[in-house]
Amino acid sequence: MAAKSANSGKEKLIDEEEEVLQAVILADSFNKRFRPLTTRKPRCLLPICNAPLLDWTFESLALAGVQEVFVICRSHAELVKNAIKESKWSKPGSGMKIVPIMTAKETFSPGDAMRDIYTRGLVTSDFVLVMGDLVSNIRIDEVVRVHKERRRTNKDAIMTMVVKESGVDHRTRAKGESSVFVLDPKTSECLHYEHIQGYPATKSISVPREILTDHPEVDIRNDLLDCSIDVCSVEVPSLFQDNFDYLDIRRDFVHGILTSDILMKNIYCYVAEEGYAARVQDTRSYESISKDILSRWTFPLVPDDNHPGGHIYEHTHGNRYIAKDNTVVLARTCNIGTNTLIGSSTTVSDNASVIASVVGEKCTIGAGSIIRNSYLFENVAIGANCHVEQSIIGAGVQIKEGSRIPKGCLIADGVIIGPNATLEPFERLSVKRNKADIEADEDGDDSDVEEVEASQDSIDRSALGKDSNAIVWPRAPPDEEDEVEGPENYENQRFMRLGDTASDVVLDVSDDGSSSDDEESSSSDDDDFHDRESVSGLSDASMGMSMDMPAISGLMADAEFRTEVTQSLERAFAEGHSVENASVELKTLRMASNVPLRRVKEAVVAAIVEKIVIVDGDAAGQRKEISTVISRWGDLINRIGGVDPVETVSILQAHSAVSTRMSLFGQILAALYQEDIVEEDHIRAWHALPESKGADRKEGPETDNFQKAWMIGSHMIQQFDAQASESEESESEDDTAPPPSKASAASSKQKQPVESSEEGTESGDDTASDSTEGVDGGESESASEDVSASENSSRPVSASTSEDETTGSESEDDGVIVR
Amino acid sequence: MVSEPRSAAANRSVEVLASKLRRRQIVGSRATALETLLVLRQVIAKARFSNLEQLVAIIRDVGRRLVDAQPKEHSVGNTVRKVLHHIREEFHAATRGVEVPKPASFSISKFVLQGQPRKQVAVQKSEAKGTLRENDPDDPDSFARGLKPVLMEAIQDVLDELETVYDNVSKNAKDHIHSDNLGYSHDYASEIILTLGMSKTVEQFLKAAAHVRNYSVIVAETAPSYNGREMAKSLSSSGISTFLVPDSSIFALMSRVNKVILGAHVILANGGMFAVSGSLMAATAARAHSTPVVVCAGQFKLTPLWNLYHEYGALDFGNPSDVLGFENGDLVDKVDVVNPYYDYVQPELIDAYITNELLKETYDDEDNEL
Repeated sequence: MAAKSANSGKEKLIDEEEEVLQAVILADSFNKRFRPLTTRKPRCLLPICNAPLLDWTFESLALAGVQEVFVICRSHAELVKNAIKESKWSKPGSGMKIVPIMTAKETFSPGDAMRDIYTRGLVTSDFVLVMGDLVSNIRIDEVVRVHKERRRTNKDAIMTMVVKESGVDHRTRAKGESSVFVLDPKTSECLHYEHIQGYPATKSISVPREILTDHPEVDIRNDLLDCSIDVCSVEVPSLFQDNFDYLDIRRDFVHGILTSDILMKNIYCYVAEEGYAARVQDTRSYESISKDILSRWTFPLVPDDNHPGGHIYEHTHGNRYIAKDNTVVLARTCNIGTNTLIGSSTTVSDNASVIASVVGEKCTIGAGSIIRNSYLFENVAIGANCHVEQSIIGAGVQIKEGSRIPKGCLIADGVIIGPNATLEPFERLSVKRNKADIEADEDGDDSDVEEVEASQDSIDRSALGKDSNAIVWPRAPPDEEDEVEGPENYENQRFMRLGDTASDVVLDVSDDGSSSDDEESSSSDDDDFHDRESVSGLSDASMGMSMDMPAISGLMADAEFRTEVTQSLERAFAEGHSVENASVELKTLRMASNVPLRRVKEAVVAAIVEKIVIVDGDAAGQRKEISTVISRWGDLINRIGGVDPVETVSILQAHSAVSTRMSLFGQILAALYQEDIVEEDHIRAWHALPESKGADRKEGPETDNFQKAWMIGSHMIQQFDAQASESEESESEDDTAPPPSKASAASSKQKQPVESSEEGTESGDDTASDSTEGVDGGESESASEDVSASENSSRPVSASTSEDETTGSESEDDGVIVR
Repeated sequence: MVSEPRSAAANRSVEVLASKLRRRQIVGSRATALETLLVLRQVIAKARFSNLEQLVAIIRDVGRRLVDAQPKEHSVGNTVRKVLHHIREEFHAATRGVEVPKPASFSISKFVLQGQPRKQVAVQKSEAKGTLRENDPDDPDSFARGLKPVLMEAIQDVLDELETVYDNVSKNAKDHIHSDNLGYSHDYASEIILTLGMSKTVEQFLKAAAHVRNYSVIVAETAPSYNGREMAKSLSSSGISTFLVPDSSIFALMSRVNKVILGAHVILANGGMFAVSGSLMAATAARAHSTPVVVCAGQFKLTPLWNLYHEYGALDFGNPSDVLGFENGDLVDKVDVVNPYYDYVQPELIDAYITNELLKETYDDEDNEL
């Protein structure tokens, strides 16, 4: 009766409002960072400061006046549902209507959950999207207001992300996973988003050039704490639906939306000046957020004031919180340190110390034990003379006398260890599942538990004490093939681990740098790299030495791509494909590898040149061979897109310089001329380019060849000139191609290094000049100038097509003719 | 349980206020007192009862829930106590006329209260007299029907009192602040007052005095809220000669100060008080210089409670980010920052309280523990 009437009152109140403020909680973590603590209950029901995380999240939303909450549950969904039903939030007068949504087990990512929200049609207006492990006192209603106001003028402002200024090294800022936001300081529009990972270390990020040209001022910020509170417009779930490959909200969705040329949507940031918000996204942040709560950064969301679990604590000086119901027994000689929380009905025996820790309800701490920086859930029994250091101890755990738990241990519910157990640091223990558990568990994602159970025989369990019922989780990093990509890899997880400084991980990176950045190599290559804004100016030493690593990876990717092209062409040559088919294949390859056109062209030119068989001692035969190959395949150079004969000649020159077919350069060029792939003007233009002379190249045979090629070009042009003047007199030496014979002579005999080195002071070749142009982040305005100044050599991938259009404008007609 | 449907809305408003208090969405003694009063009025209006005990139990229950939600805002409990006091008073007046309800409790306050213009109440009282019966078996609602109108009147009176509290406190301001410091030369012609924080009561008090007196005010900045700045701005804009000084200079300046005027968060039964942090320093400095310390506070800030441990805790610790910005990430892990809102100022450091009403008999002793 009472509940019913109150419900009707509540509904009436909701109806009265013009628009109900809705929130969606993703109550699944979609990762396993808290294992084994989360084998029996979901992360959102783990207690932090003695209240389940989900209650903290509800409180954060209630503060903002959210009226309707959808909780998307996946793992242990029944538990979540029951917890909601029994919590104070379901009671009348809570002001929030909470609807648990059981999503399919196949929902493996936040993206899937968003698609589920879309298909169910849950949200009807702008809504707040949070994770089920949020601790916040930020006035989200204010963010919603700002968001709605912006929406009124800009319908494309689909999302507002709440961020908080925290500094790079804040304990609450996740080290394994953080982000760089590129913001417009005036509108706080998020212009670009980059995910930062601890391992493989993200050492540089790239900012598209357009951002710098379009915005006179940008902030590139690596000091923001991502609160994971998003105010989304109703079309956000549908965008997930349209882009089925969006998995993560930040890495895929935000990054995808901001880099998309098609969607044209805007995402904004709300830099919260006041208030606190953070996510318990790993065991490390579990600790830092516990500390933040105890040292009152979350005020008024503190244990003695507004404890989400409804407990009442007495706050005494030094931030000690003792349950106020007079059930706590503290021995006269025990020592309760600062920043400590002690739940009701807990007993601390003589000479025991509890320092900077959280002790749950109904715990007992044996005489002489020391608990430091640790988090004990309810009903934990710790025997006499135990040491527990920086660990999380699950509910109902019994640690018998004389045991030692060093830093970083996670002990799951119901484990018994000791007496005199000595654990390794970062040990993870859980109990064996009994049959009922296994049957009840239809999750199917417990394969790892099974594996752990299966592997127990090989593990020495003597250190756990004779009474132990624990099974030991693997300590060593997983095998190579088991290693997961992305932020969940083992090394990166170490950044998220309680008590792990992960200082050695950073060292590992410098040891084998080349293998560490497979992520980057997919998105970057030589050219792209130089457009990356190194954020070193803003962050600090940790991102300082960023320059060479991606270059290596770029070369790796490049080499890989080149072999792909070579193989593709070899097959085309061998099987006699048509030029069309071969070019289609190359275009596809280029799309797949995301490399600039020039690379493709280089590979094609190289392959064609190498295709030519060297015919010794038969000039005519050699000439015939060359013209056969060029007439058959030369067209391919222009077919792959972006017709630019000047570039073709440059590439040919560069390739010839390192090839055994150097002596054929002149003849090949002539053949290209014959086939109308390059015209006289193009050869002249190439010849006039300062870098074609190769003066700035390092001394060596390659440079000699490079210069020789240029000399051959000079001769060819002389002949063109001669031809032009002689044509009227119809005097011809060789009516097909004047240069070849002389050119081959020149390549073998003529040496004029002095002249070319004098002339070639202006600029180096195209590869050497690049390294100077990596733009240092920070002063954005000057940065943008720098970037635009370095026209040819540095250009983001996205701009590369337009480059071809502009530089190739004069030759566009030719391109058409060729086709 | 009969009353459930009607009291649901009232119940809800109690919950809403409780969570607002818990979340510190309502802060400040006067604001909380006002909100509490409005909720109590709603509760009484909706409540169904057929005798006094039932009504008192309902109010006490509401009071307890509100006080538990935020034990640090004493004015919540004070307001509940005051309303309970009025309920009993009206009940006795209604059932037994003007007869003194409790023997041997003659007091000045009652004299003053009855001297106030409450003509209509008196009329209703006489009407209700005789007809008001507890536990009427024929009509269980008759008691409530009879008593409610007078209770509403009484609550309105309390509301009025809250609304006029500043004026009433300031009424005698001119008697506490003097233009002339007799015996000194003309340089010392005006009195120098020191205050800190931003207390509305003190602000109105000083402004009221400024109409007739010529004096100067030194305002300490009052870190970490720095709302002394706000106070200084407000005072100087109404033509008072004002100096804004850092907190650290309070002691050094005290030798020139004639009087320290402070606001209070709550005044305890032992005569001590909680006031904005910094008050203890100012009061101690004043004691060292034998400067009088005067506290201005509305009557609703007086609580019948006190305990022995006030001196050990400043009662309420706020957000450390007022002191050390959250963005100083590398420091956050290395230092413990405490940000107490209030100081406990012992009774021996305070010379006078200035309030709007006389004290005793505003609460009944039996309500001290709600």
